[in-house]
Amino acid sequence: MLKKNKKTLSMLLVFGVVIALALISFQIRKNTGYEAKPVAEEIAPHLVFAIGPIQITSTVVNTWIMILALGIGSYFLGRTFKVRPGMFQNAIEWLVNAIQGIITQNIGTNDSNLFFPVVATFAIFIGVANLLGLIPGLHSPTPDINTPLAMALIVFLSVPYFGIRSHGLRGYLKHYVEPIFLMLPIEVASEIARTFSLTFRLFGNILGEEIIIAILFIISPFIVPVPMMLFSIFTGVLQAYIFTLLACVYIGGAVKAHQES
Amino acid sequence: MDWSTLPWDKIFVIVTVLVAGPGIILGITVPAIGQAIVAFSGLKAISRQPEAGDKINSIVLLSLAMLESLAIYVLAVILILVFANPMRTFMLGG
Repeated sequence: MLKKNKKTLSMLLVFGVVIALALISFQIRKNTGYEAKPVAEEIAPHLVFAIGPIQITSTVVNTWIMILALGIGSYFLGRTFKVRPGMFQNAIEWLVNAIQGIITQNIGTNDSNLFFPVVATFAIFIGVANLLGLIPGLHSPTPDINTPLAMALIVFLSVPYFGIRSHGLRGYLKHYVEPIFLMLPIEVASEIARTFSLTFRLFGNILGEEIIIAILFIISPFIVPVPMMLFSIFTGVLQAYIFTLLACVYIGGAVKAHQES
Repeated sequence: MDWSTLPWDKIFVIVTVLVAGPGIILGITVPAIGQAIVAFSGLKAISRQPEAGDKINSIVLLSLAMLESLAIYVLAVILILVFANPMRTFMLGG
């Protein structure tokens, strides 16, 4: 009985704190005249400048900033590597080991160095891109549909690349018509469908997260969005992991296809 | 009754919202049940055979991601309906 009472009390406390924060932020907004932007304006990318017909949106600028930060950071971090690892080196070695583990588990080859560059690029790029929105003033590039589409198209093109590389052109094309010739349209349709599925999974997850945070900012911009932002760290890393895993599975399907037969 | 005097743009918005709410509820509930079944059977399999945990774990995550993409499709359709409906200019004549 006491335990149940405590639970109800703590629930009431949480609701009370949320309502109090909402009231405080309402007061602050009234006194300072702060107006939250509409959700669609907050999230949609805007045009920065245009070179002829090529339009450079804020998504591209954010991606450039991210690439620059990653490149400079890894250049200077790479010079400090020692035999006895420090804190950052330990973290990076753990990351590299985890990606190699994903590759050996899902592609099923001992030679993970062939696939490591592209798979690690997916993992690090998408992970950092999802977390970029947490820095004030920057926006994640992933809620714009062009970035996930570009990543999914790289997967779409790297599947035949690795397939042809490991089995030759004839061997790779043979797996489209493997049991009977009727499988050809199904295989082609599934290749196209999984590209769109990869795109929309990443896009929809991160966009939904951003919309929820933007709506919370409209309701009460004081402290209430912070737990949701903490949760968005988890979602972003999980989505990067799932994208990497699925890319590995698709590449593995093309590479493994003929090792058995 | 004169149909052309009705506020069609407001009716359009109201109908969109009325469709979007139940639509997203239905579209989230059904994949959630599927995900629950996957998680349930994965948990059962791991508790029965803990040494196969790594293999089962990645397959469970994979199927969860596949099921989640269904919910994401619904979310994308609803977002297009609410924020960027392509029928809007067609129906209301610009």
